Amino acid sequence: MGLFDKLAGWLGLKKKEVNVLCLGLDNSGKTTIINKLKPSNAQTQDIVPTIGFSIEKFKTSSLSFTVFDMSGQGRYRNLWEHYYKEGQAIIFVIDSSDKLRMVVAKEELDTLLNHPDIKHRRIPILFFANKMDLRDAVSSVKVSQLLSLENIKDKPWHICASDDLKGEGLQEGVDWLQDQIQAMKT
Amino acid sequence: PPSPPREIQNDNEAHSKWLDAHYDPVANVYTFSSCIGKFDSLPSSSHESVLLDLPAGVAAFLMEQHEPRTLAVAVASGPFIYVYKNLRPYFKFTLPLLDINPLEKEVWEQAKEDMIDPLTLKEILGRMDPFVNLHKLQSLKRQTVITCMGTLKKNMVDEDAVSCLVIGTESADILILDPEAFTILAKMALPSVPVFLDVMGQFDVEYRLTVACRNGAIYILRRDSKRPRYCVELSSLPVGLVRVHKSIVAACSDQTLQGYTQKGKKLWSVSLPATPTTLSLMDQKSRGFQAVLVGLANLEVHMYRDKNLVNIIRTQDVVNSICFGRYGREDSTLIMTTKGGGLIIKILKRTAVFDGGDTSPGPPIAQSIKLSVPKKTKLYVDQTLRERENAVGECKARTAGHRGCDCCTPSNLVSVGLFSPLTTAACSPAPQLPPSRYCRVPMLVPGLSYPIETYVECLSNKGISDLIKVFVLREGQSAPLLTAHINMPVSEGLIAA
Repeated sequence: MGLFDKLAGWLGLKKKEVNVLCLGLDNSGKTTIINKLKPSNAQTQDIVPTIGFSIEKFKTSSLSFTVFDMSGQGRYRNLWEHYYKEGQAIIFVIDSSDKLRMVVAKEELDTLLNHPDIKHRRIPILFFANKMDLRDAVSSVKVSQLLSLENIKDKPWHICASDDLKGEGLQEGVDWLQDQIQAMKT
Repeated sequence: PPSPPREIQNDNEAHSKWLDAHYDPVANVYTFSSCIGKFDSLPSSSHESVLLDLPAGVAAFLMEQHEPRTLAVAVASGPFIYVYKNLRPYFKFTLPLLDINPLEKEVWEQAKEDMIDPLTLKEILGRMDPFVNLHKLQSLKRQTVITCMGTLKKNMVDEDAVSCLVIGTESADILILDPEAFTILAKMALPSVPVFLDVMGQFDVEYRLTVACRNGAIYILRRDSKRPRYCVELSSLPVGLVRVHKSIVAACSDQTLQGYTQKGKKLWSVSLPATPTTLSLMDQKSRGFQAVLVGLANLEVHMYRDKNLVNIIRTQDVVNSICFGRYGREDSTLIMTTKGGGLIIKILKRTAVFDGGDTSPGPPIAQSIKLSVPKKTKLYVDQTLRERENAVGECKARTAGHRGCDCCTPSNLVSVGLFSPLTTAACSPAPQLPPSRYCRVPMLVPGLSYPIETYVECLSNKGISDLIKVFVLREGQSAPLLTAHINMPVSEGLIAA
C-alpha cells in the first residue's frame, strides 16, 4: 500500500474493501438485490440468469463492497466453493415463496457451512428472505425455521425479510453486514 | 434373494441421496404411472375437468409445426382422446367403430321391425327380453376403448418436434394417429390386449414399439410390420415396462425384474423382495444416467441400474405411480403418488452419485474369482501331449473302442446353421455303417448350440470335394426351418489310399 493510499485511509477518503459472496438458489433474486444496492445510475434494467458468476461493486457509508454474484443454477453451484476462501462475508438469498425448494436451499447452506474453508471461520452471514411481495411467501421467521438457522452457533448471522423489486429490507441487511465487518476488523 | 449391500441399506434420512421436498398423505391423488407425466412449459393455472371414464393414459405432445408452439395434453379415457391446449379443451377424438358381427346385426334389424320375437332373439343372442325391448330401437355399434397411450416423433428427433399419438386398444390393436388431422396413419394387430407401451424412433423413418400385453407377453413391432416381429413370453404378468438405452426392462408380478434385448433375448433377471407395484424410468440427462425405479409393496422404491440395485427409497405408503424429471426449476425431481392418495415429492441432491454393484457389462465379478482347482496330474498332461502328437492314431483307437470300427477317421468338424450349429463328423467310406440321412433332434431352443454327430459317406472316389445340404425340418412339414450348405473337404481316406 502506497503512502498516499494510507493517508487517504486515515483521512477516511478511501473506504476499506471487503469481498462478499452472494449465494442462493437460481431465481432467488441475488442479481436483482446486488443491482438494487448499486448507485441508481449504475443499475441495469433487465436482469438475466447469471452464467458462472459476475463481480459487482458498491459502496456503503464506510465500506467498499466487492460482490461475487454467483450463479445459482444447479450446474454452476459447484463453482461456489472455489470462492469461499476469498469471501469475508456471505449474503445468502432465499426465495421465500418457493416452499418446495426450501430443502434444496437448506442442503446447499449445510454444504456451505460444513466446507473446510468456511467451517472454522467466524464470518458473518446475512440471509435475505426474499420475494416477500409474493402472496404465497412465508415469513422470515418461518424461513429461518425451515433452514434451521438456530443451529448456526459459531458465526454471526442475521435474517432480513426483503423485496428485491422495491428494494425493501435491503438497506437494513447491508447495515448489519457493515457493522459486523467493522466489528471483526477492530 | 440376497440382502442388498450395507451401504445401500444404510441410506437413511441423514445420508439419503434424496431431499424430502413435499409430502401430503391426503393429497387425494389416485393415479397410476401411465397417467402421470411431466410436461414443460405448461401455463401454471389451476384447472379441473371431469372425465366420464377413468383415464387410461396421459401424454404431452406438439401438434403442429408453426408458431406459437403450444404443448397439447392428450388424455385417453374410454373410447375418446381429449386434447387440451393451454389447459382448455381443444379437441375430442373418438376411436373408429369396430365391424359388427353380421348375424347379430341382421337379428337386431329384424327385432327393430318386430319381425322376430324376443324369445328367438334370446336364443340367438342369449340375452333377456327386457334388454331386447329396451335396446331394439338403438343403432347397433361396437366400440372399443383405449388401454394405453404413448407418443412418437413424426420426422424429427428434436425435443420440440411434432409427435404422433400411439394408442393401444381393448380390441388388441395399435393405432398411430396423425398429430394434426387425427387420422389413423398405421394400424397393427396384436395377439392380446396391450397394457404398457414404449415407443422409440420416428414415424417417417423407423420406429419400434414395445408392447406388454395382458397375456403376459411382450411384443416388439417395427415400422411396416403388421404383426409383431419378436415375442417375449414373461414368466408372469407384467406390472410395468420401460426401455433403458437399448434394453427392455419389465417388472413382473412374480417378484422379478427382467431385462431383455431389443430382439427379445433375455439378458438378466433379478428377484425383488416384494411384489412390484409400478415401474418407471429415471433419466438424469445432465449426467447421462439412466436407471429404473420399481415401487414395491413393502413400502420401498428400489432403483436398479441394469441388474444392480443402487438405491432404496423408503416411503410412508405403498407407491402407486412414479415420475422422474424436471418439475418447476428443479431438474431431478421424483414425484410419487401412494395407494392412499398421498403425494411425495423428492429432489435428488446435487452431489448425489449412484454407484454400487458392478457396472461393467458382461458376466458378474463372481465369475472371475479363481477357484482352487487342483493341479493337472502328470498322467493327464502326458495323455494330452500324446493326443496332440499322434491325433489320428489316438482317435482311431478311441473310436475303435467305442464303435468297433477302425477305419473311420474324423477328418473335419463342421459347424452348421445360424441358430443351431450342428456338428458333423465326416469320415471316409465306412462300409459297415449305413449312411444315416436323418438325425432326430431334440427341441431346439434359440441361442444354444447342439452338437449332433452323423456319419457321412463319400460317394465318389475321384477325390473331389463336394457339397452337403443340411435341412432342419419340423416333423410333418416339408418346408425346412433352416438350410445349410457344408463344403466338404477332400476325403482324407481317399488321399491316404
